[in-house]
Amino acid sequence: MSSLVTFDRATLGYGRRAVLTDISFDIPEGDFLGLVGPNGAGKTTILRALLGSLQPLGGSVTRSPTLRFGYVPQRDQVDYNFPLKVLDVVLMGRYDRIGLGRRPTDADRKLAHEALEHVGIDRLADRPLADLSGGQKQRTLIARALVGDPNVLVLDEPTNGMDLVATTQILGLVRELHDRDGLTVLMVSHALNEVANYVERIALVVEGGFRIGTTDEIMTEQALSEMYGIPVEVDSFDGHRIVVARRQASTPAGSRV
Amino acid sequence: MGTVSSSHGGRRVHRQAAVFSTVLLFREALYGALVIALACSVLGVYVVLRRIVFVGAALAQISSAGIALALWLAGAGVALGPITHPTVMSLLLTIIAVMFFASGARGRIPPDATIGVTYAVAAALGILLIAKAASGEAHDIFLSGNILGITRGDTLVLLAVAVPVLVLHLIFYKELLFVSFDRETARTLGYNVRWWDLLLYLTLGIVIASAMQFAGVMLVFNFLVLPAVTGLMLSHTMRGMFFWSVASALAAAFVGFSLSVPFDLPSGPAISAASGAFVMLAWFGRRLAARR
Repeated sequence: MSSLVTFDRATLGYGRRAVLTDISFDIPEGDFLGLVGPNGAGKTTILRALLGSLQPLGGSVTRSPTLRFGYVPQRDQVDYNFPLKVLDVVLMGRYDRIGLGRRPTDADRKLAHEALEHVGIDRLADRPLADLSGGQKQRTLIARALVGDPNVLVLDEPTNGMDLVATTQILGLVRELHDRDGLTVLMVSHALNEVANYVERIALVVEGGFRIGTTDEIMTEQALSEMYGIPVEVDSFDGHRIVVARRQASTPAGSRV
Repeated sequence: MGTVSSSHGGRRVHRQAAVFSTVLLFREALYGALVIALACSVLGVYVVLRRIVFVGAALAQISSAGIALALWLAGAGVALGPITHPTVMSLLLTIIAVMFFASGARGRIPPDATIGVTYAVAAALGILLIAKAASGEAHDIFLSGNILGITRGDTLVLLAVAVPVLVLHLIFYKELLFVSFDRETARTLGYNVRWWDLLLYLTLGIVIASAMQFAGVMLVFNFLVLPAVTGLMLSHTMRGMFFWSVASALAAAFVGFSLSVPFDLPSGPAISAASGAFVMLAWFGRRLAARR
């Protein structure tokens, strides 16, 4: 399978400050990759380099000429104060294809309805975006990403602030888009337990450290304990893997927890 | 009784005719106010939705400081050609401020603090310059402006500025909406967000600078904020928000102006008060609709 994005010994950071060094990995067509790590570890830095809004300080980030992102931002990055209907928001995913200064046509509206149907909320097309639940808003943003006909779907913290039901439904939908439509997916999340049971590969970013492998390779006690710097236990329940930090008798002053 | 009533009625008709003829006398000023209301209320939709209300206030203040600087230079006998014309100087300073605000990054200083510093310094400088300007008859440009002084020529200049700005906004509506609503996603689709921001801020600066010497800080700020708030309360769509913003601004300009003339009130604050009344009406209307 050809590679859509390749990070080759990339050093990433802001100004002269490097956040991550020597990052090498690629995203082949058909991949389902989870970019996982705690907040502040460098996930957003990798994401921005991937999307092209951050140039690497060293090494290279190469994108395939055919690459087209379907980007799903964090829900709270979008301003719900705007009086927009769900269909208006989905149509934005076609704006670059519609062209500068032109208006969406009936064909664009039809595609937007199809995208909404694809994520199961076409009945909400005429509702104000602000009136939707968290899960429905997330589906709207996914529909907007899909309507542009992308070859990589990039989701930034898609389950942030959602309850258990909405989280399961959104992750199930993303899995379905990968399995049914063969879409390449990159999911960025701080929640290892949520992502690990859906994706096929995991890129783990922890305080300047970076490790990538299949879910089986990464979800081991040894690999995770090394990355997090604390003893970690990986249990299995009904086919689902759960990561828990082992309880420690005392915490030495200055150590990471 | 009938005679008294008819005499009262006669006086009322006479008074109405007098009011009407006074408003007609100042109709050029009314047309100018309507053009300012139209341009500001369209751009105000972005000002309110993007939460840059105080950028609008700071730009208005800088624009008035530009007028003050031109008056002071004229008083001091400094003639640098067209650059010392109040509108040109106002436009120049506003565009410099626009470039500053649109450039975004300001290091560790929070954006609202930067706006606050700009606002305070521009306000103080404006007042100091006017105090020392020989032709400083325009003390009140900083607050109430001089709507009644608008001539037909001024209205044509205002139209020459407003029409191209509004056409630009009509053509690039979807681009300006997208980068305002969700800049990160717009960026991933290849939009140069900074350029679109700059276009929005530039048009905002041009409209503010051209309106400032007639409308004053208070009225320009009012037209940038209150009508858009009315629109936001009355509509669930962008089209509706634009419609109600423009409609309420034009209505406030007409009502405020028409009331200010017979009651001998300053026109700017009267129009602002009418705008405030529309905001209140919209708020009550929204509450009533929510109860149903």
